[in-house]
Amino acid sequence: MDVTDPFGLCSSDLAKELGERIDRIPADLNSYGYDPWGYNPEVLKRFLLPAAYLYRYWFRCKVRGIENVPAGRAMVIGNHAGQIALDGLMVSAALVLEGEPPRLVRGMGEYWLGTLPFLSILLDRTGSSVGTPQTCADMLRHGECVMAFPEGIRGMNKLYADAYQLQEFGLGFMRLALETDTPIIPVAVVGSEEQAPSIANLEGLGRMLGMPAFPITLTWPWLGPLGMIPLPVRYHIEFGAPMRFQGDADDEDEVIEEKVEEVKATIQGMLRRGLAERRSIFL
Amino acid sequence: MKKILITGIAGGQGRLLAKRLAERYEVCGVDRMSWEGAPRNIRVHSLDLRKKRFRNIIRTEAPDAVVHLAFVRHFRVPSAVRHEVNVNGTQRLLEACAECEIDRVVVLSSSYVYGALAENPRYMHEDHPLNVSRTFPEMRDLAEVEGLVSSFVWQYPKIATSILRPVNTLGYYVHSAIGTYLKLDILPTVAGYDPMMQFLHEEDLSEAIVLALEKRLNGVFNVAGPAAVPLKTAIRAIGRTAIPVPEPLIGAIIRQLFRMNVYGFPAHALDFIKYPCTVSGEKFVSATGYKPLFSLEDIFASVAR
Repeated sequence: MDVTDPFGLCSSDLAKELGERIDRIPADLNSYGYDPWGYNPEVLKRFLLPAAYLYRYWFRCKVRGIENVPAGRAMVIGNHAGQIALDGLMVSAALVLEGEPPRLVRGMGEYWLGTLPFLSILLDRTGSSVGTPQTCADMLRHGECVMAFPEGIRGMNKLYADAYQLQEFGLGFMRLALETDTPIIPVAVVGSEEQAPSIANLEGLGRMLGMPAFPITLTWPWLGPLGMIPLPVRYHIEFGAPMRFQGDADDEDEVIEEKVEEVKATIQGMLRRGLAERRSIFL
Repeated sequence: MKKILITGIAGGQGRLLAKRLAERYEVCGVDRMSWEGAPRNIRVHSLDLRKKRFRNIIRTEAPDAVVHLAFVRHFRVPSAVRHEVNVNGTQRLLEACAECEIDRVVVLSSSYVYGALAENPRYMHEDHPLNVSRTFPEMRDLAEVEGLVSSFVWQYPKIATSILRPVNTLGYYVHSAIGTYLKLDILPTVAGYDPMMQFLHEEDLSEAIVLALEKRLNGVFNVAGPAAVPLKTAIRAIGRTAIPVPEPLIGAIIRQLFRMNVYGFPAHALDFIKYPCTVSGEKFVSATGYKPLFSLEDIFASVAR
């Protein structure tokens, strides 16, 4: 028996499938196995595996419209919810496991992620990065698929009372899409809001701990670390048709806002439809 | 271009560059240190840049081009001395160049001027702000030097002046902070951090300086190496073992060693092995057609034990 893998999870069919799919992702690796942003496929195989298990067996993700993601550069823009960024992880897993061809998703992380030990390494090795506009533009010009949640913390740490109501969108993603002529793929995730319904957010305490928020959920912090385990809701992930925008990337905020509102309305519509079609939160 | 004067000619990079240039041009230089066994066709003046006599040397040598390498890049001298050599020395040199109507000037800065910050873009372009003093005040003189040179570029448009910002330079001759670190017997790293780092071979840097001279470059240019790898990959490739130490501990140790004058880096130098400071070298490549000859494997082999 392998002590590092007592249940054989790393040699399961899912692990093999994931490995084969990651091998098919085109990557610009140097002789030491890293791409210019520090992505390493072997690390991704190891760390996306738990996400793949969550994807298949915990959230039992149902995916629609994945063929809308084109082969070249693309920007996946979605709704953000659920206290921890599992929605981003599930969208990534969907594009690796179901994408044809499989795509590596470049997450654009919060700046503070780059200051955290271990997580900052993981962010780079799995193909993501601290989300500076320059890095994002470079990646898009390189033909990568970038994922961003323009609601940021506002969306992720909102209270359950505001579930599925999109919060204010940042404008940066639209300026980058215009600058690099990148199609935007709207994505709606249904299920993430119920994984850890938040009843309060102690922002002051969060600030003291150097975190952007400190949510109180039904289980956290009452059950300690166990309270961070999300409820086994079912995820529905829908990728919408590519949206193309034209215009000056340096335009006034009002002009950019109009285009951003269009994306936001599309995602909100997809969410509304997804919620109407959903029979049960868990099944 | 016939004659080139190099400041800091007796340093590792200075010697390499002088020998390379001496094959095609007349080369002379200035340095505080002496260069034992300098080739006969290279004239070396033992002199401090801050001395008045320096202006006379420029006037009598009357070179077509000046390469400025004479910077104190370590922290073993008082910060006042460092500042005086780096900032005032550069000021003196630029004044002399203007007065003697030198045709081209190349100043060797460093990509460190951008500073190592968690929120740095992965590949910084030349217009990125010079943030080094935000976390590393001892290095603000390098940013000041760049300020002096930039205003010189605007003031004297007839003189082709370029600033080169090379990435971590390794090799047999150069003494660099990162080289000193990678040659340590025990190689501590900051636990939980493993930034991407770029490396450049000293011979390729010499070639880059030659290109900047020959192409009569004007402006600021990053000089990148063949590729970037995580710090720990570099350490492994050099044949050493990284020992991750929790940050508070390694910070305290380095502060203590610095105070005792055993290890010559202030604790915020740690940021450079913690956060990325990677640059895009595209501008220099498209201006000169430069292509590094030495691969990462060659670079690491040159400092392996």
